[in-house]
Amino acid sequence: MRTASPQPPTASAPSAAPPGARSRVLPFWANPRLGLVIVIAALVALFSSLSPAFLDPKLTLAPLQADVSVYVVVGLAQLAVLSLGHMNMAVGRMAALSTFAMGLAYDRLGVPLLVGLAIGLAVGAAIGALAGLVIAKTGVNSFVVTLALDFGLLGLVTILYTQATDGVAFAVKPAGLAELRFDTFADYCAGELCGPRVPLVVPFALVAALGVGLLFRFARLGREILMTGANPVAAELSGIPTHRRIVAAHATSGLLAALAGFMLAANNGAFSASIGESFLLPSFLAPVLGGTLLAGGAVSVLGTVLGATLTQVIYKGLNLLQFSLEELKLYIGLVLLAALSLDRLRAVLAERRAVSSS
Amino acid sequence: MSIVLSAEKLVKTFPGVRALDQATLTLTAGSVHALLGENGAGKSTLIKLLTGVYRPDGGRVLLAGPDGPQEVHFGSPQDAQRAGVGVVHQERNLIPAFSVAENICLQHLPRRKGLVDRARVRSEARRCLELLDVDIDPDTPVSRLSVAQMQLVEIAKALSADSKVLLLDEPTASLTGDEADRLYAIVRRLRDQGHAVVLVSHKLEEIFAVADTVTVLRDGRSVAEAEPLARHSRDQIVDLMVGRAYQEVRLPQRTVDPSAEPALVLDGVSTSAGHHDVGLTVRPGEILGLYGLVGAGRSELAKALLGLEQITAGEVRVHGKTARIRDVGDALRRHRIGYVTENRKEEGLFLDQTIARNIAVTVWRRLSRLGLVRDRAERALVADYTERLGIRLASPDQLAGQLSGGNQQKVSLAKWLAADCDILIIDEPTVGIDVRTKAAFHELIAGLAEQGMAILLISSDLPEMITLADRIAVMRDFAVAGELVNDHEYDRMSQAVIRLIHGSQEAA
Repeated sequence: MRTASPQPPTASAPSAAPPGARSRVLPFWANPRLGLVIVIAALVALFSSLSPAFLDPKLTLAPLQADVSVYVVVGLAQLAVLSLGHMNMAVGRMAALSTFAMGLAYDRLGVPLLVGLAIGLAVGAAIGALAGLVIAKTGVNSFVVTLALDFGLLGLVTILYTQATDGVAFAVKPAGLAELRFDTFADYCAGELCGPRVPLVVPFALVAALGVGLLFRFARLGREILMTGANPVAAELSGIPTHRRIVAAHATSGLLAALAGFMLAANNGAFSASIGESFLLPSFLAPVLGGTLLAGGAVSVLGTVLGATLTQVIYKGLNLLQFSLEELKLYIGLVLLAALSLDRLRAVLAERRAVSSS
Repeated sequence: MSIVLSAEKLVKTFPGVRALDQATLTLTAGSVHALLGENGAGKSTLIKLLTGVYRPDGGRVLLAGPDGPQEVHFGSPQDAQRAGVGVVHQERNLIPAFSVAENICLQHLPRRKGLVDRARVRSEARRCLELLDVDIDPDTPVSRLSVAQMQLVEIAKALSADSKVLLLDEPTASLTGDEADRLYAIVRRLRDQGHAVVLVSHKLEEIFAVADTVTVLRDGRSVAEAEPLARHSRDQIVDLMVGRAYQEVRLPQRTVDPSAEPALVLDGVSTSAGHHDVGLTVRPGEILGLYGLVGAGRSELAKALLGLEQITAGEVRVHGKTARIRDVGDALRRHRIGYVTENRKEEGLFLDQTIARNIAVTVWRRLSRLGLVRDRAERALVADYTERLGIRLASPDQLAGQLSGGNQQKVSLAKWLAADCDILIIDEPTVGIDVRTKAAFHELIAGLAEQGMAILLISSDLPEMITLADRIAVMRDFAVAGELVNDHEYDRMSQAVIRLIHGSQEAA
C-alpha cells in the first residue's frame, strides 16, 4: 500500500518507451516491504526452533498480536506527519493526555467504553491540530514545536493524574475493557464455529491501517498532504491550502496517538500516567523500517505494519529466550541496525542493477 | 598598457545549451572594461569561468606573471582569488553577523598558533578599505551597514588578496544615483592605481561615463572585443547587443478583438513588494508580454496578482469585476487564473512525485467524490493532457524529475490547462530548454491564445517576446516604463524595448 512512492514503470507500462523519456526498472526484490517479510519469517523460524513456546497461541502469539497492534498504530501516528516531512516528538504524551481524558470520562461520567474512546480521540486530534497550527502559522520546525509541546504535556499529565487520581492511574474499569484485554475471537462462537485466536484489539489496528492507507492513497486530503510534504512552495503555488493540510496531518497524528494510548490501556487493563512513555522511538522505527522517507512526500502503510511487526517479533523472541531487559535493548538495537544496513545494501544493489541494465 | 588577463576562445556548454561559444576577453592594467550583452548572452557564465566557479570546456585563460603570460586553471573561487582575480557578484556574499574586518579577510584569515590573529585581521582590513578611501569601522558588524556600504565591503574583500583584476557584476543594481556615483569614483581610483576592472551593467549611461573599453557578447560569442568605447555610439552598442542574426519563427497571425471585454485589468496597482501604479490590460485571445531585467519586479507582480503579496492601492479586475484574490486556490477556482511558475524545479513541479499527480494536483477537487479521488477519471485526464501537449513519457507513474526540461515544463503547464483556466500567467517558459522544444512551446502558447485564452507572458528572452507577444509592456524598477504594440519586426522592436529598459536616468 505504498503511496506516492517512486513507482518504477511496471511490466504493464508500454514497453516501447519513447526515446526522449528515461525510465529505470528496478528488480522486484528492490521493494523494501519484501525484505521485511523475509526477515520476519526468518526470525519467526529461528525463535520457534530455539524455543517452541514461541508458537504457543495463548502464551506468545496472542500477546504478540496485541503488542503489534499497539505499535502499528503508534507508527501510523508518526507516519501521518512524516508524510509532510515533519516529526511529532509529542506522540507519546499526546497519547497520555488523551487516555487521561478517557479515564476521566469513565471515572466521573461513567460513559460506555466507545464513548470514552471517542472523547479521547477528539482530545488527541485537538492537541495534534494545535501543534499543526503553531507549526503552520509560525513556520518553526515541527521537531522544536512538538518537543516543546511534549515537555509541557509531560508536566500537565503528571499534574492531572495527581489531581484526579492517586497519582498513578484511574481505578475505574469500564465495562468491556477486560474482554478487550483477555479475549480473543476464539472465545466467541456461533454454534460450532469459533473465531480465530486473534485478540479483540487487533481490529482497531486494522481499521487504523486501512483508514490511513485510504487517506494517503485515494483521498484528496491525503494526497494534498503528501504534495505539501514533497514541495511546500509548489504545493502552495498549485492552489493547495498548505496551512490547513499541515493542521490536518498533525490532527491525524494526535488522533492515532490517542487510539494507540487506548489500545495500550486496554492491553494493560488500566488508564495510567505511564501510557505513551515507550512510544517515541518505536513510532519512528516502524515507518522508517518500512521505507517511509523522513523527507516527506511518500509514505508506506504496509511497510509500517511490517516494521512494527518486526520490532515486536524481535522483542518477544529475545524475551522468550530469557534475555534480561538490558540485554534485550542492546540486541534489539543491534538487530535493527543490521536490518537497516542490509536494507540499504539491498537498495543500493537494486539501484546498480537497474543502472547497468539500462 | 600591459595585458593582465586574456581569455581565449572560451567554450562552456550546459545540457542543451551552449552558453559560451569561443568567447574572448582581454583586460589591460589601468583600465575599466565594460562587458555587455543581453540576458542570456553569456556574461555571467564568462565571469564564473574567470573566477573558478565553472571550468571551461574549451579555450584557455592567460594571466600575466613575472615571466610573461601563463595559462591558469582555477579549480575553485579560492584559486582565482589567490591568483589575483577578485569578484563582486550580483548577489551579496557577506556574513551579516561577522564584522567588516572578518568578512574582508574571510578567504584567508591570518593565523597565529592556529588561532585567528585578530590584530592582523583588523590591520589587513583597514589597508583594503584605505585602498578604496572609504571610512567604515572594521569592527562594525556587517548587518549594521547600509546597502551601499556593504557593496564597498564586498569590493574591499575582492581586493584583499592583492587582486589585479576586479570583476563587478551589476554593482549598482541596488544603489541610488548618488551612491552609484560614489562607487564609480572608487572604480576610477582603482583604475588609476593600475587595476583592471571589469564592469557588467545594464545601465548604459553608467558604462559610457566610466568605462574605457568594451566587449559585447551575443549568443555566447564576442561580437566586439576590447574596443575603445569612445568609438561607439549608444545605438551602435545596442545594435551589437541585439544583433541581426536572429532567425524569425513566423507564427500564424492572430487577431485580437480590441473591443472585447478585457479578461484581466490592473488599474493603478501598487503592492507591498514595491510596485507602484502598474496598469496592464489583457484581452481574451491576447498575449501581453511583460519584459524587463531580472529584478524589475515582474514575477513579484504575478505573485501579487495571486495574493502572495498585498495589493496596497489600485484594483484588479477579472472579466470586468473587481477581484480580491486571496491565494492561488482562490485565483484558480473563483477566477480561473493559472500561474506557470518561473523556476519549474523549485516552484512548479513535485520532482519526486509521479507525472500523473503533477498534472492532476490542481483538479483533484473536481475529480473527487466523497473526498476520494476517482482513479479512472484521473487517468483519463492525465492521458488526455499528456497527449495534447505531446509530453514524452514511458508511463504516467514515472517521476516528474526523470523527464527532460522541456517535458517538465509541459507538465507544469498541463496542470493549469487541466484546471480549465482562461487567464494564464506564464513566467519564463523556456529557460534552459533547447531551441527546437522552445519553438514547439511557442506554437503551443500561441495556440492557447488562438483558442481565446488571455495570456500574460513574463520573459527575459527578447526574441521569444517579439515572436509571441501582441503587446509588450516593459517593466523597470517595479513600474511599467512603457508599452509597445509588437509588429514582430525584430530589429525595430528590440531596439525600442532595450531603449525603454535602459531608459534615461531622468525618467527614473
